[in-house]
Amino acid sequence: MSGDKGKRNSVSRPNDHKRKDSKSKSQKDTQKPKDKVGDEEMTVVVPPSKGDAGKNEDVAMNGTDEAKLKDPPVDPKAKAIADIKANLTLLEKAVSLFDPRFTLRVLRNIPSVRKQLSADLLARVIIETYTTPTPTSFALLKALGDEEGFPRADADAWVKKKDSAQSASKKSDTTPKEILAEVDVYFSILIQVYFYDTKNIESGAEFSEGLIGYLKPLNKRTLDSLAARAYFYYSLFLEETDPKPPSPNAAVVSIRKTLLDALRTATLRKDQDTQAAVITLLLRNYLSTSRITQADLLISHTQFPDSAANNQVARYLYYLGRIRAIQLNYSEAHDHLIGATRKAPTSYKASGFYQASTKLLIVVELLMGDIPDRAIFRQPSLEKILSPYLQLVQAVSSGDVNAFQNLTQKYSSVFRADSTYTLILRLRQNVIKTGIRMMSLSYARISLRDMCLRLGLESEESAEYIVAKAIRDGVIEATLDHEHGYMRSKDVGDVYSSNEPFDAYSSRIRACLALHDESVKAMRFPMNQHRLELKKAQEARERERELAKEIVDGEIDEEDGPGGDFEGI
Amino acid sequence: MPSAVGGISLEQVQHNLQQCLARKDAAGAQAQLQKAKLILLQQNSLVPSEGVPVGQLKTARSVLEVGALLAIRRRDPDSFVRYYSQLQPFYEFSGLQSSPSPNKSQVTGLYLLLLLSQGDYAGFHTLLESLIVSEGINGGKSVEDDIYIKYPVDLERSLMEGSYDQVWRKTNGRDVPGEEFALFSEILVHTIRSEIASCAARSYPSLSIASAKNLLFLDSEGAVSEFAQEQGWSLEEGRIHFPGLPEEKKGQEGDQKEVISHMVQYAKDLESIV
Repeated sequence: MSGDKGKRNSVSRPNDHKRKDSKSKSQKDTQKPKDKVGDEEMTVVVPPSKGDAGKNEDVAMNGTDEAKLKDPPVDPKAKAIADIKANLTLLEKAVSLFDPRFTLRVLRNIPSVRKQLSADLLARVIIETYTTPTPTSFALLKALGDEEGFPRADADAWVKKKDSAQSASKKSDTTPKEILAEVDVYFSILIQVYFYDTKNIESGAEFSEGLIGYLKPLNKRTLDSLAARAYFYYSLFLEETDPKPPSPNAAVVSIRKTLLDALRTATLRKDQDTQAAVITLLLRNYLSTSRITQADLLISHTQFPDSAANNQVARYLYYLGRIRAIQLNYSEAHDHLIGATRKAPTSYKASGFYQASTKLLIVVELLMGDIPDRAIFRQPSLEKILSPYLQLVQAVSSGDVNAFQNLTQKYSSVFRADSTYTLILRLRQNVIKTGIRMMSLSYARISLRDMCLRLGLESEESAEYIVAKAIRDGVIEATLDHEHGYMRSKDVGDVYSSNEPFDAYSSRIRACLALHDESVKAMRFPMNQHRLELKKAQEARERERELAKEIVDGEIDEEDGPGGDFEGI
Repeated sequence: MPSAVGGISLEQVQHNLQQCLARKDAAGAQAQLQKAKLILLQQNSLVPSEGVPVGQLKTARSVLEVGALLAIRRRDPDSFVRYYSQLQPFYEFSGLQSSPSPNKSQVTGLYLLLLLSQGDYAGFHTLLESLIVSEGINGGKSVEDDIYIKYPVDLERSLMEGSYDQVWRKTNGRDVPGEEFALFSEILVHTIRSEIASCAARSYPSLSIASAKNLLFLDSEGAVSEFAQEQGWSLEEGRIHFPGLPEEKKGQEGDQKEVISHMVQYAKDLESIV
């Protein structure tokens, strides 16, 4: 099916639910029914059937009588092993049909299998899969070897098989089944996940390094999404090793070269998944040690692949927004962050990213001088997390400098953890500007001394200069009188007669049109559907012709009927 | 490893350098600096690497810092930036983390001030970000406590807010942490003067020359008249009149054209959808 190569359109579905700061176990797995796999033709994307989440429900919801009545209690471990084996067939299908959707499905399956992973389980699956031990499988088992629960006896027996198998294969004609590289990498990813979940950082880091070394010489397109995931965990492990960032000696600094090499290779091979993943990992790396200029250079020198997965695009936009915000380019940062928030996954378990990007969005909106919408703070997943930010917004909108100072001090640790502290420090001038604007709106004339007292400024001269600057920046419409020391506000004309409504409308229209264009571009049509459509169109045309004929024949009889009605009018 | 060039050792050169600095002998210091750099190059310690002993790296670092300070005194921003970039790998080198340089904050503060006077606010904030983040992990020392860094940060804050009298007071007062910092004051005052001028032009209907003198921090009425003429303001009977704003009338015509072009664009887009 080499024709599929040309038809790989942009995959804009969420293909993984992994967020960088929350271990998401999405209950809404989009697992397609397994029977569709057997079809030879390319099938239509069927909406996910809730029934496939049955395995999760067994484990998570203990009290469901329904499940217990229907089948005998399914052993979750056996189910996990069965799942993993099913995934292996999917991987083989992916290679033979050269369709990335199967590998993506396998990757999406990881959260459901994750809970059951253990050294014992993994070792058993590996032993059962590899009928004859290969060097890679040996390495996999060795990595697991130190974990508890490792079935040492079975492993030793299996290793002995290696020696006997070698002598046996020379005699028999049947060659042992070839294990694909994809299967190796899939098992390695499972091991990485297992290490990460058990917080076994050093072995995880070591194993990942070996995995990366194994992946480098392999140049198979079917490995792309798996390799991207491998790099992700590699970077994650190194972030957790001491010394942690943002210390200048952080361990993550050492992997920059590896990641850059990986980026180069991926770009040469046109491996878009790995490219996207590695770019975001590098940006995250630079930002964690505050190397803003280097991150900026990376962005200007690389091109983020257009057909990257939705989640990677969301991450990329988030990092881009952060960099632009630090560089005082607030409008660009705002655009990027709006995009990131829109593309963030909506499932409740994966809300970490949405929270992080919303926090940054709120701060950038404040820095631009707008007050964020109150409705944002009322969303259920965000309410508690955003409460310090809500207070911040209230302080800024009331123009109260002292309250603002107190808040920044009170919540400084929270803000530092969110890496929004430096941006919030810049908000002081916004508070003052808002205060000035409120005064200008409420007073026709106010003395500078009063302003200085109310705003908490240091002196009258400062007040005068600040108001003059505000007038020049267009924050308020007023004039100053130096001799008598007061500010007189000008009347604000009718907003509707100015261009403002038009500008607001045109920006919204532009956004809707852009959305429409993006959706059209992102539409995927299944393979042979157009032939079906042609057939249907043909049938429709034939039917029409028959109908027309009938009408022509029947008209002679019916002429009097409808015609008679008309004459009556 | 021999640390000598033609019989002069690095320590000797450094000693001479310090003496020239104490005597304020700029030319002599410059000559010593050249010699020192040559020796460092031969010893391969201009860029920190694992093989070089830590003591040498420390000497290299202090030599470069002296070079940076001298560059500022010479009012040579380019060479200062060069020294600063050369110093960065020293500040980040893991082997030297245990013994931080005493002059580091001074050099960093000067660099911040340079960025500010050049109007590069993005670079200023980028550097400040890394400083605040590293202050967070160190826990104790904060940006507020370090006078060399506090000075440019406060200046930037006052500049952004628009309280130019604070800027004036700070650059002239005793808060200036070092003589090198004072060298920037002139540039900064010039910057704020132009800022105040543009603000004043928009906010005051007219201004007496005496008040303008106070506002603009100028010394005499003659200077005020000169400045006003440079800005293109008109002087009448001891008052300065600012030119009105010309853009308001043109707005309307331009708007109509804009509306028309927008409508045409919408019609085109709708057509492509429908």
